[in-house]
Amino acid sequence: MSFFIDHPRARWTLPLAALGVIGATALTVNQTANADSGLPPRTAAQLLADVRSANVSSLSGTVVQTSDLGLPEIPGLSMSGRPGSASSSMTSLISGTHTWRVWLDGPTRQRLALIGSNGESDVIHNGSDVWLWSSADKSAVHHTLSTDQVRAGSAGKGLPSGLAGGLPSGVPSTLPSGAPRTPDEAAAAALALMGQDTTVTTSGAASVAGRSAYELILTPKDKATLVGSVRIAIDSQVHVPLRVQVYSTKRTNPAFEVGFTAVDFAKPDARQFSFTPPAGTTVTQSDHLLAGKGGTSANAPTPSAPTTGQGAPKVVGSGWSTVVVAPFAVPTAPKGSGGSAADSTAQLNGILKALPTTSGAWGSGHVLEGSLFSVVLTNDGRVALGAVPTSQLFSALAAK
Amino acid sequence: MSAAEPVVTEASERSPVAGPAPLRRRLSTRLLRSELRLIAGRRRNQMGLLVLAAVPVLIAVAVRISSPREGRGPDFLSSITSNGLFVPLAALSVELGLFLPLAIAMLAGDSVAGEANLGTLRYLLTVPVGRTRLLVTKYASLVIGAVWGVAVVVVAGAVAGIALFGTGPMPTLSGSEISFGAAVWRVVLVSLYIAAGLAALGAVGLFISTLTEQPLAATVALMIFTILSWIADSVPQISWLHPWLLVDQWMAFGDLLRDPPFWDNVAQGLRVDLGYAVVFGLLAWARFAGKDITS
Repeated sequence: MSFFIDHPRARWTLPLAALGVIGATALTVNQTANADSGLPPRTAAQLLADVRSANVSSLSGTVVQTSDLGLPEIPGLSMSGRPGSASSSMTSLISGTHTWRVWLDGPTRQRLALIGSNGESDVIHNGSDVWLWSSADKSAVHHTLSTDQVRAGSAGKGLPSGLAGGLPSGVPSTLPSGAPRTPDEAAAAALALMGQDTTVTTSGAASVAGRSAYELILTPKDKATLVGSVRIAIDSQVHVPLRVQVYSTKRTNPAFEVGFTAVDFAKPDARQFSFTPPAGTTVTQSDHLLAGKGGTSANAPTPSAPTTGQGAPKVVGSGWSTVVVAPFAVPTAPKGSGGSAADSTAQLNGILKALPTTSGAWGSGHVLEGSLFSVVLTNDGRVALGAVPTSQLFSALAAK
Repeated sequence: MSAAEPVVTEASERSPVAGPAPLRRRLSTRLLRSELRLIAGRRRNQMGLLVLAAVPVLIAVAVRISSPREGRGPDFLSSITSNGLFVPLAALSVELGLFLPLAIAMLAGDSVAGEANLGTLRYLLTVPVGRTRLLVTKYASLVIGAVWGVAVVVVAGAVAGIALFGTGPMPTLSGSEISFGAAVWRVVLVSLYIAAGLAALGAVGLFISTLTEQPLAATVALMIFTILSWIADSVPQISWLHPWLLVDQWMAFGDLLRDPPFWDNVAQGLRVDLGYAVVFGLLAWARFAGKDITS
């Protein structure tokens, strides 16, 4: 150590070296995704067959979803300044990272836990019981499935559909309803989009959640779409999709990504599926899960929900550049409902005002252009939506 | 320091961890004990501890005398009535923003800059104790101070909470209930996690403290560092920076109250804490070991 006494300035190299080691470690951890794990090559078709035949009935894991949809920051919406504060579901849909934990044990027992900052929302399905738990307002909704529904639930692989929308409106139910909840579902949705419009290739092995995986790359042949490519990482042993990344043509990082950060295919502890509301919880008995969904999610700002009697949505184009044109009305707060519905309506109107306006041969309206999709809300009560630049939406609207 | 202070060789001072075991046993804790006596004896530190302890008591009493009402307060506040152990948790989440970092900033300002300002640093360096060892002792006392501050909040909160709301099974964020004994264990884990974050902040403070001879400047600088970190952490446009911020995962202590505990964010937080402690500890060493002590 006399070296440092003779060369006092050399001491400063030690903190720099430590910084370098930390930086290098962080880089290596991120780079392991490209590590070659020496898997035997498999074609895209083989991988697709693997996925279809995959039979995983039990798993537990952590799923992280990040989205960078490139939408404008909307003032008045982001209330997430302080950690632990409520972030509205709309804001969280637009950007950010969400984490949830899943436990699956066969068709009759599933649990999904949305991790909020110092809060949690759970959906627990155990046999004929479905519980929705929200730690933010200490409330639980209990629903008893009929035997038919239990059987219907068994047919599906994941959670019974309709549960996502039925989450209590309380924060942190940050998971946008309709978004894929497991990489499995996301892959199924992506595969459904494929056909003659898509080039399917495979790339070198990836590493997801510490497991080696094959990667399936779907590239749209259609150059009009904003989707650059979709990459699906498929576990090399159990053939379950572990991660789905959607790349935009506009940026290099994934615009949307959902994947496991930890996964274990062992049977989860039965304790995970038992739920007893803790003392002091407001418990609501719900007879109809779907009716309950309609009741609670009416509060959620979902502009695309078409009001009956205004005509059906129209589809323009095909494949990746499909544009949906639907009638649209700004929802008004239902009479006699709680303050949250009025709040979200006001919030939605606030969002509308913040959006840039434009006009053309198709009329005039508000435009929202993201990295993966665009939305046009016209002043004459139509909404056009698609994974295309706004110019395509304008022509779809003009076509009437 | 008296002449009885054991003299250790230069090599073992520079790398006490690598030193052979018999030599390490000869390392006296006298320097550390005298440092801790100094910290504990300062009137301002005692007042600071009182303030830290007053917050959970204030929270507990306020919740007790007011009727339960709707609305969001700080995290865990609404759960207090069901279990007294939520009082320390609510207090920690409130104090983590300002009071606890301020306590560390005060200690860090005093540790080197304060002694330099008083002129006692050069006398401290005349005793046969290497500068590295002196700095390690200073940092150890900061770490102990961090644990101390958190413990005061937790103990005061637990005493007030249990006295006013009693014990009982604790509801976790996941909606299950854990026994009181398990709940105590979770609160201890939370305290250790928060103390680790504050200890890392102490390393930053120690480095700043070696840069100046004004203790107030060091204290203010560390508070600016902390508050800038919080601000940067709340700006979504620089989200790429967030994983590198010391305070980013501080609030993740709530993850320890899930069932089962969710370790990902806590582990990330501890990694960041360790990184800051190592880098700023070495920076402080590089600065202090070669510093001219002029006053």
